[in-house]
Amino acid sequence: MTNVAPLIEAPAEVESSRRGFLFQTLRRRPAAVIGATILVLVGLTAVLAPWIAPYGLHTQVGRVFGHPSWRHPLGLDDGGIDMVTLLMWGVRVSLVVGFAATFVSMAIGGAIGVVAGYFGGVVDTILMRITDYFLVVPDVPLMIVVAAIWGPSLFHIIIVIGILLWTSTARVIRAQVKSVRERVYVKRARALGAGHTRIVLRHVLPQVAPLLIANTVLTIAVAIFDETALSFLGLGDPSTTSLGQVIEHAFERTAISSGAWWAIVPPGALVALIILACSLVGGSLEDALNPRLRVAHLSARTFRLRPLVGRGTDAL
Amino acid sequence: MRGIDYVLKRIGFAVVTIFVAVTINFVLFRLAPGSAVTNLSRVPHATQQLRHALEVQFGLDKSKGEQYVIYLKQLLHGNLGVSFEYEQPVSKELRIALINTLPMVTLGTLFSILIGTLTGVIAAWRRGTPVEALTVSSALGFYSMPTQWLGLMLIIIFSGVLPTGGMTNEFLLNPGFWQHLKDLASHIVLPSLTLGLVLYGEYTLIVRSAMLETLGEDYILTARAKGLKPWTIVRKHALRNAMLPITTLVALSLGYIVAGAILIEIVFSWPGIGRAVYEAVLQRDYPMLQGAFLLLTISVVICNLIADLLYFKLDPRITE
Amino acid sequence: MSAPLLRVEDLHVWFDLAEGGELHAVQGVGLSLEPGERLGLVGESGCGKTTTALAIMGLLPPSASVSGRVLIDGTDILSGGEAAMRPHRWVDVAIVFQGAMNALNPVRTIGEQIVESLELHNRARGTAARSRTAELLEAVGIPAGRAARYPHELSGGMRQRAAIAMALSCDPRVLIADEPTTALDVMVQAQILELLDALCRDFGLALVLVTHDLPVVAQLCDRCAVMYAGEIVERGPLDLLYHSPGHPYSRMLFAASPDLAGLDEPVLSIPGAPPRLDRPIDGCPFRPRCDSAFAACVERPSLQEVAEDHAAACHLNDRVPA
Repeated sequence: MTNVAPLIEAPAEVESSRRGFLFQTLRRRPAAVIGATILVLVGLTAVLAPWIAPYGLHTQVGRVFGHPSWRHPLGLDDGGIDMVTLLMWGVRVSLVVGFAATFVSMAIGGAIGVVAGYFGGVVDTILMRITDYFLVVPDVPLMIVVAAIWGPSLFHIIIVIGILLWTSTARVIRAQVKSVRERVYVKRARALGAGHTRIVLRHVLPQVAPLLIANTVLTIAVAIFDETALSFLGLGDPSTTSLGQVIEHAFERTAISSGAWWAIVPPGALVALIILACSLVGGSLEDALNPRLRVAHLSARTFRLRPLVGRGTDAL
Repeated sequence: MRGIDYVLKRIGFAVVTIFVAVTINFVLFRLAPGSAVTNLSRVPHATQQLRHALEVQFGLDKSKGEQYVIYLKQLLHGNLGVSFEYEQPVSKELRIALINTLPMVTLGTLFSILIGTLTGVIAAWRRGTPVEALTVSSALGFYSMPTQWLGLMLIIIFSGVLPTGGMTNEFLLNPGFWQHLKDLASHIVLPSLTLGLVLYGEYTLIVRSAMLETLGEDYILTARAKGLKPWTIVRKHALRNAMLPITTLVALSLGYIVAGAILIEIVFSWPGIGRAVYEAVLQRDYPMLQGAFLLLTISVVICNLIADLLYFKLDPRITE
Repeated sequence: MSAPLLRVEDLHVWFDLAEGGELHAVQGVGLSLEPGERLGLVGESGCGKTTTALAIMGLLPPSASVSGRVLIDGTDILSGGEAAMRPHRWVDVAIVFQGAMNALNPVRTIGEQIVESLELHNRARGTAARSRTAELLEAVGIPAGRAARYPHELSGGMRQRAAIAMALSCDPRVLIADEPTTALDVMVQAQILELLDALCRDFGLALVLVTHDLPVVAQLCDRCAVMYAGEIVERGPLDLLYHSPGHPYSRMLFAASPDLAGLDEPVLSIPGAPPRLDRPIDGCPFRPRCDSAFAACVERPSLQEVAEDHAAACHLNDRVPA
């Protein structure tokens, strides 16, 4: 019985060290710190948009494509609406789409990954085949077709993006679940009579959490990107204003030939900033989690030489 | 022969994937609500004869099951229906569009693979130095930009220097061969550059991590122990092995290329498949949309198959 | 007295740690090797034996910094850094890695990989290189026709033979074998050891055998150096170390080895764990685990001669004058 104690303690220990790992990674890598800071700032802006937006979203406050000024640092759009206001609301909608679509894809991918990895066998084979097909079919054209048939609405966009982005999540989760399942303490837990749900929740999820978070953050980026693409094709929800739609409006209403760069540069730059922030956080986590990146047998840098220490063996 | 099973399996997978896509296509368009979608013969301004011919061709008076079989048969003969907008067979319209799209996309993709591989190798090689930080952050920067927006930025920057729309200068009457080629080349620069730039960042990141993983392998240490020079090791040992994950990941990014091509063709009014998709969406020209989706999917599946076979060629470990 | 073939003086290796700080993996190792001599470098995992072997060839990763001297025929090859060591690799010193390691490139045939080193060091080219490769493969017991095979097509034992053939390709004078039999099954282990034994004899090689496995050392080596916590705690002829160990760690190590201890003696294990190398070591590093520790052990002992050609780093030897 002496062996049992460490085995039972293992999960708790691993769990806390994993959680610690997440924060340590985020703190130690400057890229991750920058990314997380941007995300927090953008998130705050989105949440607070109704209170901090300087003007009304639908109020014309000046002439069409009004130049940037002290009162309107980023000028006015084709309807004479303040660009700063527009961007704040746009971020809000884009983030809602990003998060909601990611949530849908995580739910699908997570479920498929856990089921396939945990139960293995025929279930695994069938689910992974389906995943393979989805991985190959180009998602944007399929999104276009579905969105075109269903009609433009925010809800449709979220669902369409969500049901097409789950493949990588499913694969990542499955691989992790498979390896975790083989580890001793899960076998132990099963021998002690724990149910499937309990094993997944208590033993598997804490293990896959860091990778899942990395994957989530990267999926949010793709969802936001896809939303701007769909909006650009005129498949966005006409009743809301997302960043993708701000770009599309500016393009459609000839902001470029009117010389109104302020109507088109900031919304795209903002999308790029959000995607960049997600990539920085997700990428840093993935790098840190990849054990194969820890060793380098060859690099432009070589080992360094230090002056002789002179202790010990010369005497002999 | 080595791995004949593998080759057959990959081909089988491609065929099944195409079949699944074809079926999704049928289901999406025929079983979806709305008569405009369900009825292929509703070509605006069509003559009674054309309408009747289409009804017979696609068996629109028959059950869904029979329609599916007829649809497959017609597809085998390359019949994708008639475009609402152009009142021309969809297959003909698509063929022209595809011919226009290919050079632009090929050029952009080659550019991105070249730059991506180069910067990715440099980033891995200069790990932990400012050079890596610079290459990775610029790659991430371009990767993060929405495609259509980057295109618009290039238009703002280069307007007046390079043509920013269309494939040829329509005011150029009866140009000679070289003149035409020069005209074409000047028009292709910005769209291809946009595609190249949005794609390269992802390739840099892929190549970098594949190279980093390879440089941590034991056989790299062996190569060093043998006394090989660092760049020889990179060229002869690391790159060859890193090509394996790179091939797979580049194949998986094909969907991204397609998405990029669609957006770029809209921005630059390039008369290719992407533009056709856009027009089809705007005009609710469903046969055209259906055909374009099918064409894009099949192209991606075929490119994937090529990538799989290339992987097989590169990796002697594949035997089944 | 002429300079020894290989001599290592006061070798230190540090590794930068990701979480800051550094790990002092090798702490003042000194070795010397005459032509044809066979030295076993033994110790628990993490004691710095592999790092020492890699440092001799300059194969340390970028995160390492190193000080000390590695002399071949009396010339220091370490002081010039990585680039200066390259001409000596494979020609003066060659290495065979762990059997479990992926030491051969999976996408190139074993023949190509041997030819590569022959051509690199101008030993042979083209057809001559290929026939030399065939000879080398035959010498390690691989049919020459297998040169066109990829590593994954060979068994673990065959792969290790191929790695040995590759190491011998440029007629090195020193062969370092780092755990050459780990992860191979017992029969294959014995074959590889016999092969190494025969090759060292036939090729007149000096051998540095890095292992945690004392029976392997007993089978192949005439001298032995025991490492603990980054330093050599005892070295001398194998017989002497076995029969009259000068350091409690060596004594316990031999006692813990079932094949050598004999069946009637109980097999002992050494309680406790080696000290962490990322912080300074206070006193004798073995003190917490030692069964004979006494007051003097708060001072770190240095390696002292206890008999002719036999040195140990233990204060017990101070009390008993030789």
